[in-house]
Amino acid sequence: MKRRTALKFIGFGAAVALRPEMSIAATSSPVLRFLRPPGALTENEFLQRCIHCGQCGEACPNRCINFFDLENGIASSDTPYIIPREKACILCMKCGEVCPTGAIQKVAATMADIISKVHMGRAVVDRQLCLSWQGKTCGVCYRACKLPDVAIRVGMLEQPHVLDHCVGCGLCERSCIQIPQAIRIVPDVSA
Amino acid sequence: MNGDNIKPFFLWKHLNKLRWLSLISIFTVLIYLPYAHLYQTYESAHAYDLLADSEKFIYDTMETITSPFIDDPIEDLDAIKGNTWSGTFFGFKLSDPLAVISQIFSGMTIYTAFLLTAALPVLLTFVFGRFFCGWICPATFLYELNTNLAAGLRRAGLKTGNRRFDRRAKYLVLTIGLILSAISGSVLAANIYPPAIIGREIYYAIALGGFGTGAVFFVATLMFDLLVARRGFCRYLCPGGALYSILGRFRLVRIQRVVENCNDCAKCNAICEFGLDPLRDDFGQECNNCSACIAICPTDALTFKIRMTDSHFQGPGHLGRQYSKAAR
Repeated sequence: MKRRTALKFIGFGAAVALRPEMSIAATSSPVLRFLRPPGALTENEFLQRCIHCGQCGEACPNRCINFFDLENGIASSDTPYIIPREKACILCMKCGEVCPTGAIQKVAATMADIISKVHMGRAVVDRQLCLSWQGKTCGVCYRACKLPDVAIRVGMLEQPHVLDHCVGCGLCERSCIQIPQAIRIVPDVSA
Repeated sequence: MNGDNIKPFFLWKHLNKLRWLSLISIFTVLIYLPYAHLYQTYESAHAYDLLADSEKFIYDTMETITSPFIDDPIEDLDAIKGNTWSGTFFGFKLSDPLAVISQIFSGMTIYTAFLLTAALPVLLTFVFGRFFCGWICPATFLYELNTNLAAGLRRAGLKTGNRRFDRRAKYLVLTIGLILSAISGSVLAANIYPPAIIGREIYYAIALGGFGTGAVFFVATLMFDLLVARRGFCRYLCPGGALYSILGRFRLVRIQRVVENCNDCAKCNAICEFGLDPLRDDFGQECNNCSACIAICPTDALTFKIRMTDSHFQGPGHLGRQYSKAAR
């Protein structure tokens, strides 16, 4: 190979590799979405912004923010996530306040801001497991919700219906009295 | 005697003690912060009676420590958060310049609010050089204790490593790290940069119940320092040290040799953690102004000076020449 050709290859390769949307993280793996703290950017943007400092976890008054180890690869190690069944987000919005890079965006702790800017995921009800849908009046998820009648409403026999404004904080999943839980948060992939 | 009128300011000799105080207090704060956070979570749960005995002990201790200074732990203890990688200090956010640079490379965008958090550290680095490595870095505290351990082991007759490599290797690590961050789209420096690792891992260990992989990596660097090269990670591999060295290349405050007082005893070379050569006026961009050489110098031949460049080799120390004259 001539030197000029080789240089062209190197230059082209570098140019391709250095574009963020062409990065290995963006192309080689499907977008996995974990339940990130409230106000987090979309997964790839989040990984580009997050500096793994752990301040979000340190600010969380509910200690619901956990940190990945190497299980999802080195890029997502030491990044925050939430297991709502263990401890759910209480939407206090302190993590966004403390985040230095804006990987978790600053969102005011008001209902309007939370509904419009927080996209953690969405609750999904398993009607086969849900006590209310099986005829035993329960309604615990509705009572646990921070945004009742906005994110979730109950019908006949306290049967839960998740509405479009659900932000995915996971308080319903945390409080569900069924084992395994009949309501789960599906992390938001599209946002 | 020629040298009497150029005695350095007497406090410079004691600066090394102040540095150890600074290192110890920063490490203590890093241990205190997770406990403060635990205290906050217990407080905001409003359930003192439901805590286990060990948790009650943490609660009571933290209450005793903090109650003279604050009224409301849930809000007021938020004043200090984070670690030396990136932290919040009374509403003022500070970040490591390496965090900012890596983030710029991984995101390929400049995020101004985050850029500004590194402004103060960068300015201080322009003035004091690589001072972070000697005065603040929590890893330095452990690495220097490790160096002392190595000295103790040698005294006990065991062998410890003292190889030397090319100091420029860390610039290669920095460059490759930044390129890899750009390719992978994530801040990889946080995984191999000891101050970032230590702050996080202390938090994991205390608040989340166990160390992560970072602790393993850090122990590996300790072993490297002990068995292969003295202070090897900082000297040859640390990407943050490389960045600080570049930023501090034209620092204003420098340690310089007063050739009139020097007797060529080379204690400064032996004590220097970064393997520099104060005896031949070779400080370079990697001196971290730790002042250990000033503290150990028996003839007050090292002092701080305000200038942009190092002086060239000033020749052998004049005091040594006087000794040899007297011997003759």
